[in-house]
Amino acid sequence: MFQLSLAIIVRRLAAAIPTLVLLSLVVFVVLRLLPVDPLAALLPPSATAEDARALRAQLGFDQPIPMQFLIWLWEAVRGNLGNSINFHQPVTSLIGAAMPATIELALVALAIALAISVPGGALAFVLHQRARETAADLTVTLLQSIPSFLWALLLIIVFGVLWPVLPFSGRVGQEVVLPGITGFALIDLLITGRLRDWSSALSHLLLPALSLALSFSPMVIRVLRSGLIDAAGEPYVEVARLRGLSETRILWRHMLKNAVLPTITMIGVQFGFLFSGALLVEMIFGFPGVGNLMVQAVKGNDMPLIQGIALLFCVLMLAINTVVDVLYALLNPRLRAP
Amino acid sequence: MMLSVTNLTLSAGEQAGAKAGAKAVAVLRDITLSVARGRVLGLVGESGAGKSMVGRLIAGHTPRGFAVTRGQVMFDGRDLLQLAAAERRKLLGRRIAFIPQEPLSSLNPVMTIGQTFDEHLMLLGVASGERAAAIVNHLAAVHLPRPEAMVRRYPHELSGGQCQRVLIAMAFASDPALLIADEPTTALDVVSQTHILALLKEQQRLHQTAVLLITHDLRLAAHVCDEIAVLYAGEQVERGAAREVLGQPCHPYTRALQAANPDVHGSQRQLPALAGQMPGISALSAIAGCRFFARCPQALAACGSEPQLLREVTTGHWVRCAPGCATNPAPVAGDDLQSAAWSAPVGDWNSPPLVELQEVTLSYTARWGAFGQRKLVSHAVNKLSLRIQPGEFVGIVGESGSGKSSIARLIVGAEAPTAGRINIAGRERIPGDATVARLSRECVQMIFQDPHSALNPRRSVYRLLTQAYELDHTAGSLARKTRPERGAELLADVGLPADALSRYPAQLSGGQKQRVNIGRALCVMPRLLVADEIVSGLDVSVQAQILNLLLELGRRANVALLLISHDLSVVRYLCSRVMVMQAGSIVEEGKTEEVFARPQHPYTQLLLRSVPPADPSIAWPPAPGQKP
Amino acid sequence: MSALAAGAAERGLLGAGRLLGQPRILVGGGILLLVALAALLATWIAPHDPLEQDLLHMLSPPMWADGGEAAFPLGTDSLGRCVLSRAIYGARVALIVGIMSALGAMLIGSTLALLGGYFGGRIDRAIGYVVDLWMSFPPVVLSLILLVGVGTGVDKVILAVVLVDWTRFCRVVRADVLVTRRRDYVLAARLIGFSHLRTLLTEVLPAVTPLIITLFSIEMGVAIIVEATLSFIGLSVPPDVTTWGQMLADARGDIQSALWVMLVPVCAIIVTVLGCNLLGDGLRVALDPRLRQRGE
Repeated sequence: MFQLSLAIIVRRLAAAIPTLVLLSLVVFVVLRLLPVDPLAALLPPSATAEDARALRAQLGFDQPIPMQFLIWLWEAVRGNLGNSINFHQPVTSLIGAAMPATIELALVALAIALAISVPGGALAFVLHQRARETAADLTVTLLQSIPSFLWALLLIIVFGVLWPVLPFSGRVGQEVVLPGITGFALIDLLITGRLRDWSSALSHLLLPALSLALSFSPMVIRVLRSGLIDAAGEPYVEVARLRGLSETRILWRHMLKNAVLPTITMIGVQFGFLFSGALLVEMIFGFPGVGNLMVQAVKGNDMPLIQGIALLFCVLMLAINTVVDVLYALLNPRLRAP
Repeated sequence: MMLSVTNLTLSAGEQAGAKAGAKAVAVLRDITLSVARGRVLGLVGESGAGKSMVGRLIAGHTPRGFAVTRGQVMFDGRDLLQLAAAERRKLLGRRIAFIPQEPLSSLNPVMTIGQTFDEHLMLLGVASGERAAAIVNHLAAVHLPRPEAMVRRYPHELSGGQCQRVLIAMAFASDPALLIADEPTTALDVVSQTHILALLKEQQRLHQTAVLLITHDLRLAAHVCDEIAVLYAGEQVERGAAREVLGQPCHPYTRALQAANPDVHGSQRQLPALAGQMPGISALSAIAGCRFFARCPQALAACGSEPQLLREVTTGHWVRCAPGCATNPAPVAGDDLQSAAWSAPVGDWNSPPLVELQEVTLSYTARWGAFGQRKLVSHAVNKLSLRIQPGEFVGIVGESGSGKSSIARLIVGAEAPTAGRINIAGRERIPGDATVARLSRECVQMIFQDPHSALNPRRSVYRLLTQAYELDHTAGSLARKTRPERGAELLADVGLPADALSRYPAQLSGGQKQRVNIGRALCVMPRLLVADEIVSGLDVSVQAQILNLLLELGRRANVALLLISHDLSVVRYLCSRVMVMQAGSIVEEGKTEEVFARPQHPYTQLLLRSVPPADPSIAWPPAPGQKP
Repeated sequence: MSALAAGAAERGLLGAGRLLGQPRILVGGGILLLVALAALLATWIAPHDPLEQDLLHMLSPPMWADGGEAAFPLGTDSLGRCVLSRAIYGARVALIVGIMSALGAMLIGSTLALLGGYFGGRIDRAIGYVVDLWMSFPPVVLSLILLVGVGTGVDKVILAVVLVDWTRFCRVVRADVLVTRRRDYVLAARLIGFSHLRTLLTEVLPAVTPLIITLFSIEMGVAIIVEATLSFIGLSVPPDVTTWGQMLADARGDIQSALWVMLVPVCAIIVTVLGCNLLGDGLRVALDPRLRQRGE
């Protein structure tokens, strides 16, 4: 089992390298189509044409594009993604500071989404067994029509304005200083024993995570429900029933184990959705994550930063897909055959 | 009596009734049967006769939209229909066990054999410490090799026969009083079918279990069962001792069913085929009298208006037929095929061969590893040579996986050989040679196995039959007639009613679809038809219709046939020459009569032993082997 | 031949009846029809010009609330612009982006899916690789980068959505093509002598058309959301074009004092997307016989 996981990881890694290079190239070329000069912001108003040329040469912008890409790639391999034009800081340190917040947000959102969708999917399935068109199905369709950033606005209206019980700005309260051990606020504050600050961090995380989870769970519910419907038509379910197993046992022990497989695949494919949502949700909640950083970079035409964050998102997506592959193989014995 | 069912009647409830706009219709009517301890009752009928429904009802699963309106199901002194659902569930898996039809998909694919078995034993109340040893014992009892290793394996790693052994072991683990086996061997190869039936008999004798065996195969039932009940359209038409029902069938339907089954041994005879097909549920409400009336060769006028009652003709032998008919059977009427003119077409051996395969190999490769290297997986066909003469009917028999379907695909050109030559009408087919490809298309056409998959559901019968006319360059044979002319002609050739042209596949029965399938292949007037398992999905009476149609077409249009089948009796009926395939090679070949009468190769002998003999007094199946 | 024609006509009628028998199609189609009408007739039905600023009426509440005025049925925003008129004009951009993006993604994605799924082998692997490559990006991130590259404007937004979302069509349709490809009737057509192109068009394409139509409807909703997202960030269109995303961005500052300014575009987006999803779901159930049976 361990060997299998290792084999998948190795295969994934081997495939990831050309993927990352190709994707970086796509981003690089697209960004070079830029109609405005991103360097204008870096120069003082009094700069001469000579100064501009010197700056271009310094940043490597006077080279042909393929050469520029190779330089960027070489630097990237050495762990240097260049300097942000607007923040005047290395891209790696900007990303390094923001990444844990986004990962934390995505994982908490995923946990909430699963907590909603597993019972939700089972309920939708049970209701479906009784009637074809159910209120649960219509609810799912309605929920699916609300993107995460609208959830963010709606949740702020409800829990921030009309019934102000939860904070909706920042990652922790202003008075709290994060210890910065792992970068994950919930973990750091817990291991340093600052429970009051920990609950502040949690309450700040709740609304953004809920926004993401609410837009993600209808998709999971649908896949789970249709996985369960497929499983219900399989002979092994009827045979289990004829063996005298209870309906509850059949649903949770037999059908769910099978229905979970397409669900895992779908979560891997749609994780990009979660990250896409995080972009706006982080911006709306002033959450200092990668998504927020990306929006600022895009608004400021900060090419090195955009390029760096794009690379990070690809790495994250590839990592998630690797995890999903391993999970799928561990849960699906049919893939384990030699 | 362990189980006795009396006057069981199942009616379509409000939902189904409202749709038809009629009063509730009895889908099962007055089913009466009983099984004693240690006895085996066979419930025989074609698909749609309602035999599986009876099995489900005994388990307490009434299908949605139906309701039991009359009758009793007494099990061990209690009426199962009156029991609360929870009470009934307590009996299931303990006192009443089931063996399903599709063993491979009847085990949860993500659980090991051990996990599934363990769960079952836990429900039976076996203590957790004893379960592991008990599982191994139970698996060993059904002759599974290395039961200790079997526990850790997943269903997909087992063969269908092995899965069925596991399910049989689970069924007998609780020492049940009643076992319901629903087509337990239909999904299996002929050889494993024999083993599984032998095992079932062995276990049944050992545990003295009452068994209800549901099957479509009358001959198989006669050998395995003590008693047989025959169902037709939800009605029991005949019931009695197994040998008597098979030896002296009284009901015209039983007789027709028995006669429509071709034999592997004995004198050749023409198969009489019943016209039409069994009425479906929606048609039942329109039938006032005997449900077999429309197809009955000896129906009386009164049969159409009065339902018949079950009458006892001899002790314990009951028949639902008019008094005179049952005791005085008329010879079963055949169709217009002349018995004298009948024989499997031998073909023209003075002409050059129509199709010739020389040392043909077909191997499959799969991509493997991170960089997609190719790797040889298997030889589907291994250095095989064969020839087919004009007008000849040739058969290829073998089990699934023997490579016989690959030969069909090679000959029609759906697959290119890895090595070797294929000559069509004397010209070698080379990939990319358009002229030979076209010649080959006009010479060889294919009839597909599954008509459901072979007919585009969006085309009408007319557009299916004459699909070849949509080509820009139609073949010479097509130019002589217009498309509507040819459509009408083909419709008549394959024996479909005139109004079928505008119908869509979804509106046709299985037999009718297969006729369209044949008609489409005939459109370009090919000289060879390649037919891959084309009757395996059909009921016996419809199968006989299609077989006779093929014989007639062969005689009339002088078309040759390559019939690929796992069913030896069908091959014997149609083909003058037979090839036996095993693992990609032909192991025996010759005139059908000679090969079947004096098989030389052990594999051929094994295949022939696996066919239930027509004579019920011959002991079959052979005693259980240790081989899985 | 008349019998054939009658059969075909009957089938057509049955098809239409089946479509209209689906409440989801009726409701979803109805919503989209209303939104489309509002977008088409915006010049006549909107009470004000969407850009007209009335500095005397800033943040006035809806007409039924205290201090509301009939001239501004849904109130005004912080610049004194009529919220109702802006919502009506916003439907134009939403629908144009929705329809054009879905059309483009459908054409590219389905064509590649048909080619890859039907021919298999190298073509399929190449297309599959590009799809995998594309899907290694969170979709909105890719759209954002594209917009940074090509600049803003409605046409650019459409281009960005098409270039990102064709993969969705490609992936889903390809799976369906693979299933159809294995049906024997496709082989039968080839054995009769149909060319690959003819087989694709007459045997394979009709079988996957219901799925493509369904995806088209759902994709419209996705494109509308992406457009709203992009214009919320302020990247999608120039300021003189009114969009729902822009309205949301403008309303954020006044969330404590003037909720309605935010709620109107929120509702507009949700209702329109709901219309697309309902229509898509309904079409899926009505057109796919397998789903019809199990009522998915």
